[in-house]
Amino acid sequence: MKQAIYGLVLYVFLMLPPVASLAESIMTVHMHMQMPLFVIAGMLMAPYLKQRFPGFFSKWNHNGVPGILLFFIIMVYWMLPRAMDEALAYQSVEIFKFISLPFLAGVPLRDSWNKLGSIGQNVILVSFSIISGLMAWLYIFSPTQLCNNYLKVEQITLGWAFLFLGLSIIIYFVQQFFVDQSQYE
Amino acid sequence: MIKNKQNLIAIFLVILFGISLFYVGTDGFKAYTAETARTNKLMEEKPKLPLVTLEDSNKRSYSFSEFEGKYVLMTFIYTSCTDVCLQLEVNAAEVYNSIPQKYIGENIVFLSISFDPATDTPDQLDKYRSYFKSDGETWRMARIPNQKELDTVLEELGVIVIPDGNGNFTHNSAFYLAGPDGKLLEVMDYKKTEEAAKKVTDILDNEVEG
Repeated sequence: MKQAIYGLVLYVFLMLPPVASLAESIMTVHMHMQMPLFVIAGMLMAPYLKQRFPGFFSKWNHNGVPGILLFFIIMVYWMLPRAMDEALAYQSVEIFKFISLPFLAGVPLRDSWNKLGSIGQNVILVSFSIISGLMAWLYIFSPTQLCNNYLKVEQITLGWAFLFLGLSIIIYFVQQFFVDQSQYE
Repeated sequence: MIKNKQNLIAIFLVILFGISLFYVGTDGFKAYTAETARTNKLMEEKPKLPLVTLEDSNKRSYSFSEFEGKYVLMTFIYTSCTDVCLQLEVNAAEVYNSIPQKYIGENIVFLSISFDPATDTPDQLDKYRSYFKSDGETWRMARIPNQKELDTVLEELGVIVIPDGNGNFTHNSAFYLAGPDGKLLEVMDYKKTEEAAKKVTDILDNEVEG
């Protein structure tokens, strides 16, 4: 319950117009801070929602695959250069961002993660790092300015941030094979 | 078993949702950047150039009707720009030089419009003009002194200009071709100069012969 409140506070804080416009003024912060924080807000609210609607999650997201697919679709959608531009240009897309990231990505991610089992989790980690790598390549080497609202130099910065993200996921993925998790539990 | 069925339906629905989201979000998988979406929309709408007053490097003032009966190839720039605008104008010069001489001035005029009227005075534009060997007549450089009118043009043609406060601007670039009736005909990729030159020449050939 406490978690859900923290999640809600974070969610509302992120949506405050000055906070949102500050976060969106820098491309990397927009993509790598604001968006993930929305997902985290959703993740924090997930247990409460599961408590409220236990049947819904166990029936419709029985093995975690529908949830993780939904998470993936939403994440990839928000990696499109156009989606970022349109969130700035149209109120409706901005609202969709505020709803989709916590509730269609954060909540299903937390619900699905443990249901997936370690193989499923590893598939997700590897595919997410591959996508990050592709995005890094796209944003660093694109000869054109992909977003009308951001300078090319910001775009390149974003690309490097993607590379960093991809590498971090890979490091996490690899360490599982060398570190015995049970020692720390 | 019933649980698994719902799980399967959920997977199906999620995939369906994903496809529709991407379909709508990219105009049917055609536009992955806002810039492509913008140019696609402009070419569909073909807006008429608004009534505004231009002031060129020779201190002459006129509206777009000055070019009535001629095609106009426009670019949007600011002279203190250090990267994209230079490339844009170098490429415009390339197109200018690739179009058959007989059409230049007669059937088509080049026009570079500054969106930084405060800095880009006629004198400044005149200096800038000389860097690209523009003659100031068949290739003119002009500013729109009235900020309100300038905003109308930028808005109408979907040119996004974001000042960074230090005298620089974030902006998108393209070649804009307006027809003899003052309506926008084409928005072309400024990096593909050969393609643009060919397109413009074809249009002019058709116009003169047809």
